[in-house]
Amino acid sequence: MASDTAIAAAAAPSAAQTAGEPSRALLEAVELVKHFPIKSGVFGRANAVVRAVDGVNFSLYPGETLGIVGESGCGKSTTARVLMNLIKADSGNVLLNGRAPGTPELSLKEFRSQVQMVFQDSYASLNPRLTVEDSIAYGPTVHGLGGGEAVRRARRLLDRVGLDPRRFAGRYPHELSGGQRQRVNIARALALEPKVIILDEAVSALDKSVEAQVLNLLLDLKDEIGLTYIFISHDLEVVRFIANRVMVMYLGRVAEIGPTDALYTGGRHPYTTALLGSMLSMNPDERTMEAPLAGDPPNPIDPPSGCRFHTRCAMAESVCSAKTPALTVSGAGHLAACHMVDPTSGHSKAAA
Amino acid sequence: MVQAVAPAMIDDTSIERSPGYWSTVWRRFRRDPVAMIALGVILLLILIAILAPYITPHDPYRGATLRRLRPPGTPGHWLGTDELGRDMLSRLIYGARLSLFMGVTPVFFALFIGSAIGITAGYVGGWVNTILMRTIDIIFAFPSVLLAIALSGAMGAGIVNGLISLTIVFIPPIARIAESVTTSVRNLDYVEAARASGAGGLSIVRKHVLGNVLGPIFVYGMSLIAVSMILASGLSFLGLGVRPPEPEWGLMLNTLRTALYTQPMLCALPGIMIFITSISFNLLTDGLRSAMDIKA
Amino acid sequence: MLTYIAKRVIYTLPIMLGVTIVCFLLVHLAPGDPLVSVLPPDASEQLRQQMMALYGFDRPYAEQFIKWLGRALGGDLGTSIRTNRPVVAEVSKAVSNTLMLAALATVIGFVLGGLFGFVAGSFRDTWIDKVASAISVAGVSVPHYWLGMVLVIIFSAQLGWLPPTGAGPGGSDNWVWDWAHIRHMILPAVTMSVIPMGIIARTVRALVAEILSQEFIAGLKAKGTSSFGIFKHIVKNAAPTALAVMGIQLGYLLGGSILIETVFSWPGTGLLLSDAIFQRDLPLLQGTILVLACFFVVLNLMVDVVQTAIDPRIARS
Repeated sequence: MASDTAIAAAAAPSAAQTAGEPSRALLEAVELVKHFPIKSGVFGRANAVVRAVDGVNFSLYPGETLGIVGESGCGKSTTARVLMNLIKADSGNVLLNGRAPGTPELSLKEFRSQVQMVFQDSYASLNPRLTVEDSIAYGPTVHGLGGGEAVRRARRLLDRVGLDPRRFAGRYPHELSGGQRQRVNIARALALEPKVIILDEAVSALDKSVEAQVLNLLLDLKDEIGLTYIFISHDLEVVRFIANRVMVMYLGRVAEIGPTDALYTGGRHPYTTALLGSMLSMNPDERTMEAPLAGDPPNPIDPPSGCRFHTRCAMAESVCSAKTPALTVSGAGHLAACHMVDPTSGHSKAAA
Repeated sequence: MVQAVAPAMIDDTSIERSPGYWSTVWRRFRRDPVAMIALGVILLLILIAILAPYITPHDPYRGATLRRLRPPGTPGHWLGTDELGRDMLSRLIYGARLSLFMGVTPVFFALFIGSAIGITAGYVGGWVNTILMRTIDIIFAFPSVLLAIALSGAMGAGIVNGLISLTIVFIPPIARIAESVTTSVRNLDYVEAARASGAGGLSIVRKHVLGNVLGPIFVYGMSLIAVSMILASGLSFLGLGVRPPEPEWGLMLNTLRTALYTQPMLCALPGIMIFITSISFNLLTDGLRSAMDIKA
Repeated sequence: MLTYIAKRVIYTLPIMLGVTIVCFLLVHLAPGDPLVSVLPPDASEQLRQQMMALYGFDRPYAEQFIKWLGRALGGDLGTSIRTNRPVVAEVSKAVSNTLMLAALATVIGFVLGGLFGFVAGSFRDTWIDKVASAISVAGVSVPHYWLGMVLVIIFSAQLGWLPPTGAGPGGSDNWVWDWAHIRHMILPAVTMSVIPMGIIARTVRALVAEILSQEFIAGLKAKGTSSFGIFKHIVKNAAPTALAVMGIQLGYLLGGSILIETVFSWPGTGLLLSDAIFQRDLPLLQGTILVLACFFVVLNLMVDVVQTAIDPRIARS
């Protein structure tokens, strides 16, 4: 099994590899594990656990947009919250420029000012009692910025995201539309001048036309300021549009990660091809006659042994239920966790 | 979009400000006729209580045996006299002071203490929550009337003891509401977002939690004032709480019981006052609740 | 389900223990002489000491508590200082008297309350709602003991239809279920029912209005469900919370009727408690408070269990 650094290096965008040395990862997730105990029985003992995140590894490089896709329950949102340190991981590390938050090298507060998040529910993310500018200005004041300066920054940011401060700064969340609220949430995320923004289904609840506007805003901001995004979504078309690289998750583990086009046109993991193949085509001549993915995703409480996907995989063999596949290199910057990709696995279809 | 003025230069006056939450609540409240009437009645009662020394026609403590139990409508004593010959109108007016005081004060203190306990338990969670709330549950296990009477009985009669026992009675329900509201607010996204901004617990509680939690707790407290008044007057009725010769509506009900058959109207009067005050507080609270229920 | 019940029962035990401790503390830390009702004022110091030892009042508190608790668990709550009868006997008699009133008050209050509330909630914001709500608010705001007095004024003093006090010609010891006795129950029971009626009416109104505004009702109507069918759905959804409120009210009725029993001289737990307080009858006081509080706790437990039986979602939360 390749070492973590090798995996990280292999997952680097191909441009960096041609340059001769891997570019430095901005954010790294190393073997993240988070289980949620289920209390049952008379004394509330944890009999079973929900294995929400069960060994997730990936790296995030400066200036890119990493899309994370997967079905409900695959652990996308939990991973995001563990990355943000909103939930403490059971084991594993999150590293920002090689340093872990909560250590003397990097305080939690400092980490927070570098990594921010935009949530899915635009209404619930805003305190209904605070005006828009107060909500945006709150973060900076926590980090020591004076009240007046924080408000001025808030107004600048409102303008940046396309909302006229004169009309919006003094308003309350319930007076704004969904799209406007998400712009406010983006402005709030920007208020701390972070390097990384995690967008957890940030546009999923918006109307399509509004969604397009917000997506374009995100792209403009990225270029202007030099941000790095993690874009979590279940909308495969949107991810294809906005992401440089994509990571596919299944039942708490990474199934495949690589450049967008490579995954969308030639995914190596059977789940990837099935998932991305379930996108409906706009071309009436290319009708999808059969659903490529059968059955419901199994329960994260009691996942299948070995490769999590083997119960739904058309190409499963005995090795698949026996051994858990590791992320293996299958191309430039492209990794898949499937025995068929690993020449040493013993799978009949494994490349020799 | 062309910006005529650079955003950083916009001063506070050119920002359109929406009315805040409480001004909106007040506006809605104003449009509710029943609630406004209730508010008016309560303000009137408070006014009467404050101005008592100036508006009472007679000394509420002095009575004359010859003038005992005169019915309402007697010249000079519009509402009659009580069993010791004291003027009913004067005693009713003075009674407003004590009765209102006994109604509001316990709730006031219970709001402070109960909210502190409940909000802490709700925000911190974990074993702190368990310990605090289980202790509260023990006190809450006693029906309030029983508890008030038992406590007063144990401590002895008197206004201060009555206040203490009533405060203790009201702390558990307020603490429970506070904990429940705080827990639900705590799990909302905007609190998580505040944590994601790097804020610490105290800052989050002050800026995000309190503003959203104090409203419902306060309204709940208001709904308890009527109960407190009735309980306080009940205590006096039983001989605990306020002692004679202080004028207090509940105590007056007790002492006038002897006249039940001869002058029933006299008996009914203090109760009518309690009823009016109580129903006004309840209607006020109802109106406040409706006004606060702003659906986005 | 059974595990949930078991969990709740175990949960209740520390609370019960806490309740007994509070009971004990309440009574023993109070100022005043526990022997004031038995000893003449000029009793000699020696006699006092003897009596104290007899009743065990001179032992340290912890010891008294353990002894009392031990005996209580075995069913012996001591002997009343005042009447010299076993506390258990006094309390059970009083409890049965109160139960009679409470039962009648429950029927009146819950039925009327549920009716008013349901009607008000179904016809929200119409004049029907306003009238029913006005009655409910009045019910909640009225000082119930005063209402008792007013009813006595009207029905006893002026009209002479019903007796004002007491529990019948022979007292409660010779209770017979005939009109001569039952007529004594009417006024107190009606008085007792008013506040629960108001609270239940208001709660039910809010519940019904909320349920009716939910989308699944529109779905039912679109399906063509009959009015009775919709009614059943409303009841099923409103039941858990309504039952919880009713349970609490039942608890109050069982224990909190001190004021009304005083007005009507009804020999129930309320009157017993008030006598015990004023006579400083410690064993009786302790025993009565304990029984009442335990009733309340057990009642809450039962309400929880019934709630869960109706709405399984609660157990999983």
